[in-house]
Amino acid sequence: MSAQGQVTTDPPVAFASIVDAIDARVAGLPASPALIWRDGAVTYAELGAMVRDAQVALLGLDVPAGVPVALVARKSPRAIAFILACLATRRPLVLPPVDLGRAALDAVIARSGAGHIVATGDGEGLLVTKTGAATPPREQRTASAAPPAAALMLTTSGSTGLSKIVPITREAIDRFASWAGPHFGIGARTPVLNCAPLNFDLCLLDVWTSLAWGASVVLVDQNEATHASGLLELLQTHNVAVVQAVPLFYRLVIEAARERPCRVRSVEHLIVTGETMRPAGLEALSEIFDRAVLHNVYGCTETNDSFTGEIDLAEVRRRGIVPIGRPLPGVHARLVAPDGTTVTGEGIGELWVSTPFQTPGYLDPALNAGRFVADVDEDAPERAFFRSGDLIRRHPDGALTVEGRDDFQVKVRGVRVNPHEVEAVLQEHPDVVEAAVLAVGDGASGTQLHAVVHRRADALLSGLVLRGHCAAWLPLAAIPSRMSVVDLSLPRTSTGKLDRARCHELAEIRPSRPSRPLTVLTPATAR
Amino acid sequence: MDTSTTVTQFVLTEYLSGEGIDDLDPDYDLIATGVIDSLGLLQLTSWLQEEFEIPVEMVGPGDFRSVRAICRFIDEAAPSASMVRGAER
Repeated sequence: MSAQGQVTTDPPVAFASIVDAIDARVAGLPASPALIWRDGAVTYAELGAMVRDAQVALLGLDVPAGVPVALVARKSPRAIAFILACLATRRPLVLPPVDLGRAALDAVIARSGAGHIVATGDGEGLLVTKTGAATPPREQRTASAAPPAAALMLTTSGSTGLSKIVPITREAIDRFASWAGPHFGIGARTPVLNCAPLNFDLCLLDVWTSLAWGASVVLVDQNEATHASGLLELLQTHNVAVVQAVPLFYRLVIEAARERPCRVRSVEHLIVTGETMRPAGLEALSEIFDRAVLHNVYGCTETNDSFTGEIDLAEVRRRGIVPIGRPLPGVHARLVAPDGTTVTGEGIGELWVSTPFQTPGYLDPALNAGRFVADVDEDAPERAFFRSGDLIRRHPDGALTVEGRDDFQVKVRGVRVNPHEVEAVLQEHPDVVEAAVLAVGDGASGTQLHAVVHRRADALLSGLVLRGHCAAWLPLAAIPSRMSVVDLSLPRTSTGKLDRARCHELAEIRPSRPSRPLTVLTPATAR
Repeated sequence: MDTSTTVTQFVLTEYLSGEGIDDLDPDYDLIATGVIDSLGLLQLTSWLQEEFEIPVEMVGPGDFRSVRAICRFIDEAAPSASMVRGAER
């Protein structure tokens, strides 16, 4: 990154669109496996036929142009074919997280304006629910010069039901796939692992880029994504050459390899993304995948990948942390100090980044203020920079490392979570007086959330009940791993703010009163 | 201690410190409420192997959604485990 932000040439476009590219693979590699799923394979010819079936089903829904549909489905070849059918017919597709609580899921779908919720099961056909509220995305309703239509609408891993909807255009996907395929050695018949669920932005690489380049995508069944020895077997059975995953996945693999030592020599490129991985974990990975180039990829849903670099273990040992790498071709980036000036040399600033793959802005334009900002210094005022919220340190030698967040956000299992938002959800429970959610570092499993909850005087509230409440409103990662219910007021500072340091002490206290009324044991319950 | 109590105690000790044994319903959804996450699942499966001598290959991604489901799994897996050991002798 230079003093004024990095300016590099735009990436060459290797193909006009991934839809056309995948069509070309269907024609050119008909018998080659496109998807490896459970014990079988779906060839490109078969995938092409499934996409055509899905297009017919989609037409049958009779949705007006521009109105999105939502897909709520676990990963399967049929779900992938449905997404491709939407891309091919320019039908905006909302992909909410499958594990979102029901209430939060309904809220996301309502805000997206989707008129139909589609589910794909194991069998043929689609399960379709009408939502009764079909509207084109707001940006298309209000803007006179309509921005490029969204192809996919992903959601940020917001920790409440108010996760933001991030539209991604087809052009952005095309540009990304053009760059990423050759960069990570993805070509015809390359076995590429896909571990992430289909609503994750990671799929832009390991599913959509892979298919555009004719690779064979080895799909990890979401039901088995935590079965560590099964993951290792999958890598070995299919001679996987490219793996992209978050540190949690790699910790599972390391754990499995500890019980059953092995080397996975087929892997050529191993990509760590989502959060930084500790040096010890990287050392273990380089032993298991002893022929792989390790890459660190930095990015987020709003911009897709923005920085990448090969991981040099000697350097990581020396620094104790993995640098984020260098900006991708076409990426503009700058470090901005709190006073708004650009940090030109050594120092810390918030990373502002603009990528050729980024969203035109959140679906709800009201959310863009303060997050997407025009560049004032350069000669391209139309270029929107995304304020990442990450504080980045530039070292004397120019290397960039993540220092922390500028707001109160933490990453739990690769998912961005704002503990304040989790507190807000807890406080909505009628038996809760006040709640504090603390981020606690833990060597084995990364950051964990601990909640300390002060319950109403006459309430018999337990942590288990609160978990049920959270599950309805929060994604899994945002549910605190520990709930301490207390009958005391939470400590406050002199200005009345929660005193989080002293809340940590309270987390150890047990309630003085049982969570259930004591009952007289009858023979039936006293068994 | 019967299987259900053993499993309940393990779940409480390992994942739900501070909760009372009477509060944990055998059908409480441990997965949807984040009590057992993926690392927790690893821990649970290795405990099942040790505590109930269930062979590694049988402890796949079974249904561990609730205390009742875990108990059902143990009931189904454990007898065949003892048969395997018997056949080896």
